[in-house]
Amino acid sequence: MTGAFWRRFLVPGALWLVVFFAVPFGITIAISLGQATELGGVLYGFDAGNYADALDPLFAPVLLRSVGYAAATAVICLLIGYPVAYTIARYGGRYKHALIAAVLLPFLTNYLVRTYAWVALLADEGLVNQLAGEPIRFLNTRWAVIGGLVYGYLGFMILPIYAALERMNPALIEAGKDLYGTPRQTFWHVTWPQTLPGVLAGTVLVFLPAVGDFVSAQLLGGPDTYMVGNLIQQQFFGADNWPFGAALTIVLMAFLAIFMFLYLRGSSSRRGALA
Amino acid sequence: MAEGIRRREFLQGGAGLALGASLFGAGCGVGEEKASKDAVTKVVPAKIDGDLLIFNWTEYMEPSLIKGFEKRYDVKVSQANFDSMPSMMAKLRSGNEYDLIFPTADYINRLVKANMLLQLDREKLSNADGIYPFFDDPWYDGGSAHTVPYAMYTTGIAWREDKVGDMTGSWSDMANETAKGRTFMLDDFKEGIGQANLLNGFDLNATDPAELEQTKGTLEHQKEYLRGYSTNAAPLLVNGTAWVHHAWNGDIVNTRNQAKKNPENFKFETCKEGLPVGSDCMAIPSNAKHPGTALLFIDWMLDPEHASANIAYFGYPMPIKGAEAAFAELAADDPAIEVSVEDLENGSQFEELSPDDRKAWDRVWTEVKA
Repeated sequence: MTGAFWRRFLVPGALWLVVFFAVPFGITIAISLGQATELGGVLYGFDAGNYADALDPLFAPVLLRSVGYAAATAVICLLIGYPVAYTIARYGGRYKHALIAAVLLPFLTNYLVRTYAWVALLADEGLVNQLAGEPIRFLNTRWAVIGGLVYGYLGFMILPIYAALERMNPALIEAGKDLYGTPRQTFWHVTWPQTLPGVLAGTVLVFLPAVGDFVSAQLLGGPDTYMVGNLIQQQFFGADNWPFGAALTIVLMAFLAIFMFLYLRGSSSRRGALA
Repeated sequence: MAEGIRRREFLQGGAGLALGASLFGAGCGVGEEKASKDAVTKVVPAKIDGDLLIFNWTEYMEPSLIKGFEKRYDVKVSQANFDSMPSMMAKLRSGNEYDLIFPTADYINRLVKANMLLQLDREKLSNADGIYPFFDDPWYDGGSAHTVPYAMYTTGIAWREDKVGDMTGSWSDMANETAKGRTFMLDDFKEGIGQANLLNGFDLNATDPAELEQTKGTLEHQKEYLRGYSTNAAPLLVNGTAWVHHAWNGDIVNTRNQAKKNPENFKFETCKEGLPVGSDCMAIPSNAKHPGTALLFIDWMLDPEHASANIAYFGYPMPIKGAEAAFAELAADDPAIEVSVEDLENGSQFEELSPDDRKAWDRVWTEVKA
């Protein structure tokens, strides 16, 4: 089981995670066991009180909302990202690399700045509404938040699916057709299972950062779109309570780790059935 | 006047993006490093002792003043930026050495207690006489021993007069029927809870549990009128998304600069139940490498002519005699954005909350927003 788990992420990714994740993770745990001082600093110790606070039912709706937004984001990213990756991989020809570069180009700009740009475009008297004539209320809704997340993380869905499609031998599709498969049958029985690892990786890569995101909800959200990322950010930059913010972070991570474990186990057994 | 996103607008979003770096810095530090008392009281002559490293908000100082100082004293001035007080504190706690910092009043108190600010002898500043006497002995720094004031600001309500006609000069305007669903509250728990405290007739900094409970009810009532929580008053008012926006006085200057047409439609009011006023300061950290140059630079900024140029750039008044005209020009259309010494004397200042009181405030904020 563990072997299959790690193979999905591939070795360089795993190395990256160890170096750039394990160390900050250790620091976060250390902070979460401390106490906030008058100065807003951390008094290190072994105090589990922050964890008791973090498990307060008050935070449950915030967490569920975040998971819901992130799940919707992952689904929408898949619905948009798969056709995009498929089209580029199958029909991109010599423009393939240019097209992938075009997909990535927006990500060279800071996510915060791009989200600000959406505020300008979608405002009540913004460009889109001026063109639409009838003013539409885009901003400060949960759909705006999910839209911001989709826009922010779509690239993480497209790339692994594209990579999986690229790795796939096109002769397999020919073989499917030779065996009298309709295009639809060929897709579901040949292409989709072959690219499933890419889909799973893409889903994880989109879902995880989307759960913890705070920028989209902060700039595009309304009064009822508070996400767990905003809550954690408030602890660090509002309430000056780093230990509690760190404890919330660890609780979120533990929750997501369990969630991911079940997700990947479930999907790997489904994959086994398919094969 | 520079265009675009200003410090407070960019504050919160940017702050989070910097979180990773700050966390790492904090992890490497050894918790609460208190400098010794000796380091704080050392005598520093106001003369050049090296190049200057300033640690400030972004776009919070007229760049030509820095160039002028470099030329006048033949030194190099570099600037590093922070995007929130907590991230400034994190950098200082992890031992970074800056020559000049710009903390807000509530943080100065903490820095002084931790012996992290060098004592400033005003005798050494040739322009110190121009500082408003109110700042001779402010609550956050007894005897003004460590700080020189920089900017003053107030919190009120900005609104669009072409959309909303019935503003009343009260915090109850945060629940204006005309602007229902088009009102924004500052996404800042101190400002949010503070205005609700004032509306209820409590002290701005009220921490009494029964009072906070009532304030929570006020915030929940106001939430029904909100379209969101934001620190982007200027763009949201200009692009029509916000009709009413809880805002700082500098925001309205910025809003009018951003509005291409009818800037006179954008108004700002202070509220009769109480006026949150704030100020920030220039201070020299006790571990500064070049405190002499920093002293000279502080004196340079206190020059009324330089202060005037700075005010025109960043849109906030500075408490310096002889620089009033520069802000009066900005405030010509709207006296409500003016911050006077009387405002400072009669207004309410956000005070430093103890860790437990901070937790109680944060709890109220979270319960309202969750």
